[in-house]
Amino acid sequence: MISVQEFCVRARLEHQVVEGWISEGWLIPCREPELGFTDVDLARAALIRELKEDLGVNDEGISVVLHLLDQLHGLRRSMGELLEEVRRGR
Amino acid sequence: VASDPYETLAVKRDATQDEIRAAYRKLAKQLHPDLNPGNRQAEEKFKDVSVAYDLLSDPEKRARFDRGEIDASGAERPRERFYRDFHGAGAQDHAYSSSAGFADFMEGDEILSDLFGRRQGGRGQFRMRGPDLHYRLPVEFLEAVNGATKRVSMPDGATLDVSIPAGTRDGQTLRLRGKGGAGLGGAPAGDALIEVEVRPHPFFTRKDDIIEIEVPITLREAILGAKLDVPTATGPVRMTIPKGANTGTRLRLRGKGIPRADGSHGDEYVTFKVVLPDQPDADLEEFVRRWSGSQGHNPRRHLEDAL
Repeated sequence: MISVQEFCVRARLEHQVVEGWISEGWLIPCREPELGFTDVDLARAALIRELKEDLGVNDEGISVVLHLLDQLHGLRRSMGELLEEVRRGR
Repeated sequence: VASDPYETLAVKRDATQDEIRAAYRKLAKQLHPDLNPGNRQAEEKFKDVSVAYDLLSDPEKRARFDRGEIDASGAERPRERFYRDFHGAGAQDHAYSSSAGFADFMEGDEILSDLFGRRQGGRGQFRMRGPDLHYRLPVEFLEAVNGATKRVSMPDGATLDVSIPAGTRDGQTLRLRGKGGAGLGGAPAGDALIEVEVRPHPFFTRKDDIIEIEVPITLREAILGAKLDVPTATGPVRMTIPKGANTGTRLRLRGKGIPRADGSHGDEYVTFKVVLPDQPDADLEEFVRRWSGSQGHNPRRHLEDAL
């Protein structure tokens, strides 16, 4: 588990920015026993930062992109598993 | 190895910083690995584009490159893992794992539900503590006073041994942690909340930590006094009726009431009720006729104003 301080350093983000992203629902850290982050959160934060800073996506756009991306990943994974099942079934 | 960054970004050598930025954005939108989860080629191209942009977006580095001081790979920024690397086959579920993209496929389809249903275990919206379940449990008066263990049948057929603490009140709720509904996504189960209903007793009544009992006595016992056994919650206790006890005379049996939380006990109060023989008694009639002591005694004095 990565502490919020370490997370800010490694993600190159201000503490307040992280708080804001959490309240937007862009980041969903662990709450128990205390605020903690994982490598997934780190990678997601890097993606958000790039969407905002490099690609010029605005805040509303970020929410849409993340939502669609997560659905896309879910679909891709299930598609992969489905294909695997089909291959095994042959 | 890296090619010319101006070519990579498809900008002219004299492009302004804004033009470079715009060109990068245009390419990045097409090539960003997180926007192309299944496209390895895009990833390679994106790396080249990123390297080129790193170089050209920094006027100092760009100037050094233009002067030939550094080559095109001059400042490659190592990138650890992309967000997409946490998805896909073999990746663990996490807060962002989503099945929303195909939830509608699963409705009513067992095969797909079996296949995809286990996706609902992430750290996010699907984790939920189980619901609390409410039950009513009738217990006998003495079970509530002295404590007892009751076996309860749950709706799912399981049985649950409920320990009724000594001194439990009517309407009191017992909480059995973790015995409620199952949690979702690995979250803990809810609690079973058991409301205790204490049945009335034929001769004991209860008020807070006091037990009351009414004990009928004969005229002889009332007038002459006696020793007799009186029921308590923990068995009979021998007590002395003082001479001249009357209906309404109330005596205390210390420590024979309800157990308290601190280990001490309330008291039992015994109220006597003088009861005459069921059948008319000729001897008693004769005695009372000759008895002069009742002349000055008026038990209805307090009613006189109303008469």
